Amino acid sequence: MNDPALSGVPRELRLLQAFVDAADTLVDDYDVTEMLHQLAVRCVELLDAGAAGFMLSDQRGSLQVLASSDERTQLLELFQLQADEGPCLDSFRTGQPVLVSDLSESEQRWPQFVPEAMRENYRAVHALPMRLRQQTIGALNLFGHQPGPINEQDLLVAGALADVATIGILQERAIHRGEVVTEQLQDALNNRITIEQAKGLLSHAHGVDMNQAWEQLRTYSRGNRTRVSDVAYRLVTGELPPVALLPGRGAGPEHAKLS
Amino acid sequence: MSEPDEGMGRSDDDVRAAVVSALRRESPDIDPLVRVCRACVALLPVDGASVSVMSGSQHRETLHASDAVMARLDSVQFTMGEGPCFEAFDERRPVLVPDLARDGAGSWPAFASEIADQQVGAVFAFPIQSGAITIGAMDMYRREPGLLNAGELATALRVVDLAAVAIVGASSGDGTDADVRDLAPLRRDRAEVHQATGMLISHLGVPPELALARLRGYAFGTGRLVEDVAREIVSRRLRLESIDI
Repeated sequence: MNDPALSGVPRELRLLQAFVDAADTLVDDYDVTEMLHQLAVRCVELLDAGAAGFMLSDQRGSLQVLASSDERTQLLELFQLQADEGPCLDSFRTGQPVLVSDLSESEQRWPQFVPEAMRENYRAVHALPMRLRQQTIGALNLFGHQPGPINEQDLLVAGALADVATIGILQERAIHRGEVVTEQLQDALNNRITIEQAKGLLSHAHGVDMNQAWEQLRTYSRGNRTRVSDVAYRLVTGELPPVALLPGRGAGPEHAKLS
Repeated sequence: MSEPDEGMGRSDDDVRAAVVSALRRESPDIDPLVRVCRACVALLPVDGASVSVMSGSQHRETLHASDAVMARLDSVQFTMGEGPCFEAFDERRPVLVPDLARDGAGSWPAFASEIADQQVGAVFAFPIQSGAITIGAMDMYRREPGLLNAGELATALRVVDLAAVAIVGASSGDGTDADVRDLAPLRRDRAEVHQATGMLISHLGVPPELALARLRGYAFGTGRLVEDVAREIVSRRLRLESIDI
């Protein structure tokens, strides 16, 4: 989703805009899902990546997809494969960046992940840890269509975006109380499941694919100033009829073109 | 969560193996929920555990409590309508209280005063849920205050996953009791399972827990893995009408 107003603007300004947007988001009752999605989209724009996503610790020793620059099923699968092996899991376990400039040379290291990633035409993959003091709570994952190393400056930008995501997920209280980190992470992961359930529901009800279902969810949430996860919950529990999310009802058709 | 000082050496597989071995020590004839609660107390620095279910917004019931203190903690909360376990139900997120004497009275005054005569240092309450499907909660207490470390937390979350399997198996009679014994299902569902559940909600016009039960029942009845069936549904290779029966 390229913002036409920002194309042609120098990257420094776009970067600044990304942080201003993030700071604007981090007020009172913000929507973690929407914030992370926007950060992932910014990662793609600013780092010239093919796709970006955030994976979160499930606190059982593995990772779950939390947000992605788009919701195509194949892309989500690529993220989720890394619950078992891949750059994200390694970055999460070591707390260090894992930079893979040429995937074709890494098949032995990740025999399941690499062929799948290459089938989707990705050639470079980078993973950066999302850190809170001594803890690593997840990883930012960047996919590129061209092989090649990530430069120093891009690495700094990616690290900063990963930090913003960490702050956004944990919210400020978490910094002080250890147990709240668990409560927030588990809440975020369960919200993600609710969103998947709602995507399936909308996909069947409206005959659309999962990415279009996701856009319907977001469009409605923004139009009604409510959280994506709350809309998803109300849909799945039957409180909100799916027809309310059809373009032209409530949120207005002009938003539907964003995908 | 990975932390340099603790929990790092304890991988996902180690946690699973420990939970498996604790459960195997119990006779398979014992109710799965009783075994899950016993495994919980055996594996973690907690003194009691319980599993409760809710149906609708009003009815809450403790299915099993490993000791009288735990049973009392649950019943006081359900009676007063407040407390950490009650909140885990309602807020659909874990509520961890490492020091009940310090934090209890401020958050849940009626509950705290009612259980003041019990020796309870810490309470950990985990919802048993999958997205919008809220089944119940698993509660634990320890006599001394103190938080679970990262490795203990991983074990606790695994035990809660297992409690979910035990409850769903008991209510749908789809053979998951055997799974609890064999411990195959200690992996979380993939996105397709949640998406297929959503599609079935829309197709059948039923609540989410029923849609998931149908999906599981169909997979069990046809001798296949839930995630394989889900993947075929999501990719429209399996018609939803096949699941109607």
